[in-house]
Amino acid sequence: MGALSELAPGKKVEGYMAFRGQVLKACMILTAKLFFADPQWIIPSIIAPFIFTLVAFFLFGGQASTGSFLLYLVLGSGLMGMWGTTIYGSSNSIGFDRWNGTMESTLAAPIPLSWIALGRVLFNTFEGVINALFILVIGLAWFQVGFGVLNPGLFFLASVSTFLSLSAFGLLMCTIILLSRKGGFITNSMEIPVYIATGTMFPVSILPLVVLPFAFLLAPTWGIEAIRLSALPGYTGLATNYWLDLGILAIETLAYLGLAFFLFKRVEAYAKRNGTLEEY
Amino acid sequence: MEKARHNGKAIEVVGLTREYITRSFFGGVSRVTKALDGIDFDVATGELFGLIGPNGAGKTTTVKILTTLLTPTGGEAKILGLDVNKDLYEIRRRIGIVFGGERGLYNRVSALDNLRYFSDLYGVDPAVAKTRIPQLLEAVGLADRAQERVEKYSRGMKQRLHIAKALVHDPELLVLDEPTIGLDPGGARDIRNMIREMQKQGKTILLTTHYMFEAEELCQRVAVISKGKIVALDTPSELKRLVRDISVIELRTYGVTSDYVESLKRLPNVLRVVSELDSEVQTIRIQSPLGADLLPLVTSALPSDAKIIDRTIKEPTLEDAYLRLVEE
Repeated sequence: MGALSELAPGKKVEGYMAFRGQVLKACMILTAKLFFADPQWIIPSIIAPFIFTLVAFFLFGGQASTGSFLLYLVLGSGLMGMWGTTIYGSSNSIGFDRWNGTMESTLAAPIPLSWIALGRVLFNTFEGVINALFILVIGLAWFQVGFGVLNPGLFFLASVSTFLSLSAFGLLMCTIILLSRKGGFITNSMEIPVYIATGTMFPVSILPLVVLPFAFLLAPTWGIEAIRLSALPGYTGLATNYWLDLGILAIETLAYLGLAFFLFKRVEAYAKRNGTLEEY
Repeated sequence: MEKARHNGKAIEVVGLTREYITRSFFGGVSRVTKALDGIDFDVATGELFGLIGPNGAGKTTTVKILTTLLTPTGGEAKILGLDVNKDLYEIRRRIGIVFGGERGLYNRVSALDNLRYFSDLYGVDPAVAKTRIPQLLEAVGLADRAQERVEKYSRGMKQRLHIAKALVHDPELLVLDEPTIGLDPGGARDIRNMIREMQKQGKTILLTTHYMFEAEELCQRVAVISKGKIVALDTPSELKRLVRDISVIELRTYGVTSDYVESLKRLPNVLRVVSELDSEVQTIRIQSPLGADLLPLVTSALPSDAKIIDRTIKEPTLEDAYLRLVEE
């Protein structure tokens, strides 16, 4: 063993955002390492998308050879994947620490818990991107389906914005998990309704009117619209325009973030008062 | 932030109280449990201070409050001059915590990954972390296995990693919550040596432990906590003076029954009998002012099929003082 006296002197990273950026990066890296450390990651990220693509390809038959089919498939499955992993991730990002026995260590860090959870939710949402990319690769290489995007720049911007809005929504749901040990049940039960309401697999415009207010409150709805407008020639959907969709998406995403950070603060204070946060 | 002045006191606790309220189904208060009942103590900068007490005495509650994980319901606690209710992030930046047992580490990733993660979480400059993490791994004897998953580590190795994790941000104060619990003698000795070395580096240390010999060996002062109150606070040698009127007969026995132990308790002038079974050998400690004069009575009560392997008359230890304090 060496000597503890020989340690390099302490120096902390300077700046509010530099520190938070470092924490986000660290949480994303750790979540990724924990994800890939479990060999089962192959099932949701590779095997499931492959089966899904296979089924969709045979279902759509002749239409499957068109570029817009593959785009619909990649978008639909990718967004479903992102939403699924966000839901799963928000349940697990802090819940994992409860059963792993690392809750006290996480809580004892000199940063609000919301930043730690955000870093984890960001990676969990990114898992859905891996899922979508894999479907794209299968479509292109295996089924030799063409793939074309109307405006790649706008498509990229809308995709990144949608990714961020899903993460913000996931963070909001994290507070439910923190409040109750049974919170995972509530968030998991939201998976299918949100698939439908956000228009993941089909346009929101075909939904009954009664569902639309709920759909409009979900930021990913606008993201998906913007993605389709930027990618599919002749797409009308909600008959809005790209920038309006993106603007509403940004406002709703910021609202989610603001609400999530506020709730995290309240939940953390509540749990500290009651001594319940680390209980499994 | 400018460092708060703390007048040579790293920890100041005044009238600290913590109540847990159990509510009924309809929201009314059904039970109030007082985990801490107005405790006072302080720890000087650079001191190694022990907090000992039985299970449920209030040690963990105290540790949780001092590490800002739990809000007190009354009183005041200051760490390095900072208020535990108001300055929690500044306190967390300047303290390190070692949890005993298996909790607190990510087992599916390596020791290196754990230390990198926690160093980032504590805002250590990446350039500093790059040098300090290998030094820490070397210091705790894990450099050769730094890339291995923590789940493959022995209990002792995990505990050494805990020490490295607590030191990764170079804290001024360390809170060690039963750091040697469940370790084999060699592993526990390694941890104790590290604790001594950390104190030599000028760190203030608050140690909670179940092992009295550990507190006696390491701590400059010890607070005994029982039923949420501090029942004694002094140096180990002064605490032992509480039981200077007694001697301890220590018997290492084989094949004795619980009836025999109970019969010892009924002997005249016997104050306390503590029995501990380690594999097949049972160690019985009898506290009495009679000392060696009690031995004939002790041996005469021994069942015919039992055997005394060894008998010694000892000076009372901190454990004897502790037992008297918590049982009073």
